[in-house]
Amino acid sequence: MLLKNKNIAGLSALTLALAVLAGCGSQSSNSGNAPSPSAAEAPPSSSASASSSASGGDPVKFHFYFTGSQNVKDLWDTLIPMFEKENPLVKVEEVYIPSGTGAEPTYDRILAAKKAGKGAGDIDLYEDGINYVTQGGKDDVWETLSTGAIPNLANINEQTMNDVANLAVPYRSSAVLLAYNSDKVNDPPKTLDELLDWIREHPGRFAYNDPSTGGAGSSFVTTVIYKDLPPEAIHESDPAIMSQWDAGFKTLKELGPYVYGKGIYPKKNQGTIDLLQNGEVDMIPAWSDMVLQQQSENLLSKSVKLQQITPGFNGGPTYLMVNKLSDKKDAIYQFLNFVLSPEAQEVIVNKMNGFPGIELSHMSQEMQDKFKGVAEGFRTFNIGDLGNEINKRWQSEVAAQ
Amino acid sequence: MSKERKQALWGLIMVAPSFVILLVVVVFPIVQSFVESLRGEDGTYGLSRYEALFADKGMRANIWFTLQITVVSCALVLLISYALALYLRFSPGKTAAWIRRTYMIPMFIPGVIATYGLMNLLGNHGWLSRLLLPFGVTLPRIIFDPKGIVIANLWFNIPFATMLLSSAIAGIPGSVIESARDVGAGRLGIFFRIIFPLSFKTFLVALTFVFMGVIGSFTAPFLIGENSPQMLGVAMEQVFGVFREREQAAAIAVFTFLLCSALGFFYIRSMAKEEAARM
Repeated sequence: MLLKNKNIAGLSALTLALAVLAGCGSQSSNSGNAPSPSAAEAPPSSSASASSSASGGDPVKFHFYFTGSQNVKDLWDTLIPMFEKENPLVKVEEVYIPSGTGAEPTYDRILAAKKAGKGAGDIDLYEDGINYVTQGGKDDVWETLSTGAIPNLANINEQTMNDVANLAVPYRSSAVLLAYNSDKVNDPPKTLDELLDWIREHPGRFAYNDPSTGGAGSSFVTTVIYKDLPPEAIHESDPAIMSQWDAGFKTLKELGPYVYGKGIYPKKNQGTIDLLQNGEVDMIPAWSDMVLQQQSENLLSKSVKLQQITPGFNGGPTYLMVNKLSDKKDAIYQFLNFVLSPEAQEVIVNKMNGFPGIELSHMSQEMQDKFKGVAEGFRTFNIGDLGNEINKRWQSEVAAQ
Repeated sequence: MSKERKQALWGLIMVAPSFVILLVVVVFPIVQSFVESLRGEDGTYGLSRYEALFADKGMRANIWFTLQITVVSCALVLLISYALALYLRFSPGKTAAWIRRTYMIPMFIPGVIATYGLMNLLGNHGWLSRLLLPFGVTLPRIIFDPKGIVIANLWFNIPFATMLLSSAIAGIPGSVIESARDVGAGRLGIFFRIIFPLSFKTFLVALTFVFMGVIGSFTAPFLIGENSPQMLGVAMEQVFGVFREREQAAAIAVFTFLLCSALGFFYIRSMAKEEAARM
C-alpha cells in the first residue's frame, strides 16, 4: 500500500511539475511555431469550389482576403457592392482578418496550398504590404500582371510597378508626413536638414516611434539613413548598400539626447500621436491618414497640422496580389480594373484619407487640387528585406546606446 | 486484481487526460522550440544561438534587466500581499471590509486597458502630475521607465497573491495565535514563528505564480517599458515578429523556460517533501 501510494504521489508531482512549467510553455510555443490559423479564420469550405464551374448566367465567385484596421473593412464594404452592381457576373467573397490576428497565417496558407498541390487554397486575391509582395515573389506565388488584362494598370506610375516586378497592384498609399502643433510651432521645417536642426534646437520636443513597431518611425529612420545617398538607392534591395548606412546611423545616435525623454521612442504609430495630443512633444512623423481620420473624429486637436519635407518621407503603398494558381483570374482582373478606375480611387481617397494608387493626372480636378502640395515629394521606398536590417541595427545601435 | 492495483489503475486513468493535454500543448512545443533553437545560421546544429544570446550586449542587458524587474516585483508583491492579507485577517474595521470587497477588481480589468489607464494616470502630463502641480511637486519619470513596469506588475499580481495568502492565513486556527499571545509572543514573533511557517506552502505557490507572470509578461513592458533594455517577452516578440529570426527567438524562449524551471524545481521539491512527510 505504501509503495502504491508513493507511485501515485510521484505521478501527481509530475503533473504538478508540468502544470507549473505551463506558464513558460505557452511562451515558447508562441515563438517556436508559426501560429496556425484558427478555425474561425477558415473560409467557408462548402462554397469554395462550387462556383469555379460556373455555367452560363451563374456569377463567378472569388475569395478576397485582406487585413487591416476597421477603416480598411469599411472601404471594401463600400467598394465591393459598387463593383458587383456594375458587374453582376462576378461575386467577391470578402474575408476580413482584423489587424494583428492572422496576416501571417494567410500567407502561410497560400504557400502551403501551393506546396501541397491544392491550387489556390481558396485565397484568390490578397491584400498586404511590400513584405509579402517580395516574399511571394521569392516563393513564386503571385501572378505577373499586365495592361493587356487590366487596362487601368496604365494609370499607375511605371516606376512603382517596376519596383514590384508587376506582381502586385499598389492600389492606395498613405504617406508619412511631419505632424506638428501649430500653436507652438509657427514655422515648421521644410527640408530634412531643417528638421534635424529643429530637433537639436528644441530638445525633448520631437519624438519618433520605435521603427520596428510602426511605419511612421520607420520612415523617419529610413529617410535619415538615406539622406546623403544617391536617389536610386531607395529602390535598391542589394545588401551591399548597407555599408553606406553608417553616416545615417551616426546622425540618429547623435539625435538621441535631443528627442523626447532623451532617447525614448514610444511603441506603435499611435504612441507618438498620443504624445503630440497631450502636449508632451510638438512635432512627430505620422501617417497622414491616421492624423486626418483622428482629427475628423475629434480625437486629435485641430491645431495639429501636416507638413511634407524634402526629401520626402517615404509613403507605403498597399498592394493587391493575385494568386498565381487561382482559376478565376478573369473575374479578379475585372475587379482590379474597377479598383484602379478614377471613381473607385475617389472613394478610396475619401474613405481612407489616403493617396490614390493611380497617378493624380488621371483623377478629377477637385482631387488634384486636394493633393496639391502634399503629394509632391512623396517617395516610395522599395528596399525589400533591408528594412529588417535597419530595425535590427537601430535596436542595437540607437536604442541600446 | 487486488484492490490496491485497481486503485492505482484508476489513479492513472484519472490523471491521463490532463497528462495528455500537457504533453500536446506544453511538452511537445517545448521540445520543438528547443530543437529549433539549436539550428544555427548555417543550418548545422549547435549552441550558436545561445552564444549569440550572451554575446550580444543588448541581449545581455535584457536578461539582466528582466531578472532585476522580476526579483523586485516579486519581493514587493509578496510583501504588500502579506501585509494586506494579515490586515484583512486581524482587523475587524469597516475599512478592512471594504478592502475585502474591492481588492479583486484589478483581476477583472483587461491588461491592455489597465496599462493604458496607468499611462494616463502616471504619464508626464497625466492625471497625477496635474493634481500635484498646484503643490509644486514634480513627479519623476514613471512611464517609459522601469518604475512603470514594476507598478504595472504590482497592479496585476497583488490581488491574486493576496487572495492565495488570505485563504492560507484564514486556515490558521485563531486558538494557536491566541495561546502564543498569552505566553507573551510579540507581533513579529507570532508572524515569523507561527503564521509564516504555517502559510509557507501557499507563499511558495504565490511566489511561483508571480514569478512566472512577471518574467513572461508582455503587454505592460511593451507599452510602458524603455526601448532598451527590454523585458525578455518584448525582446522575444521583436526577434520573432520583426526580425523574423525564429531560431533566435526559440533560444530566448528556451532560456526563459530554464529560468522558470529553476523556480519550478524548488517548488516541486518542497511539495514532494511534504508529500513524503505525510506518508
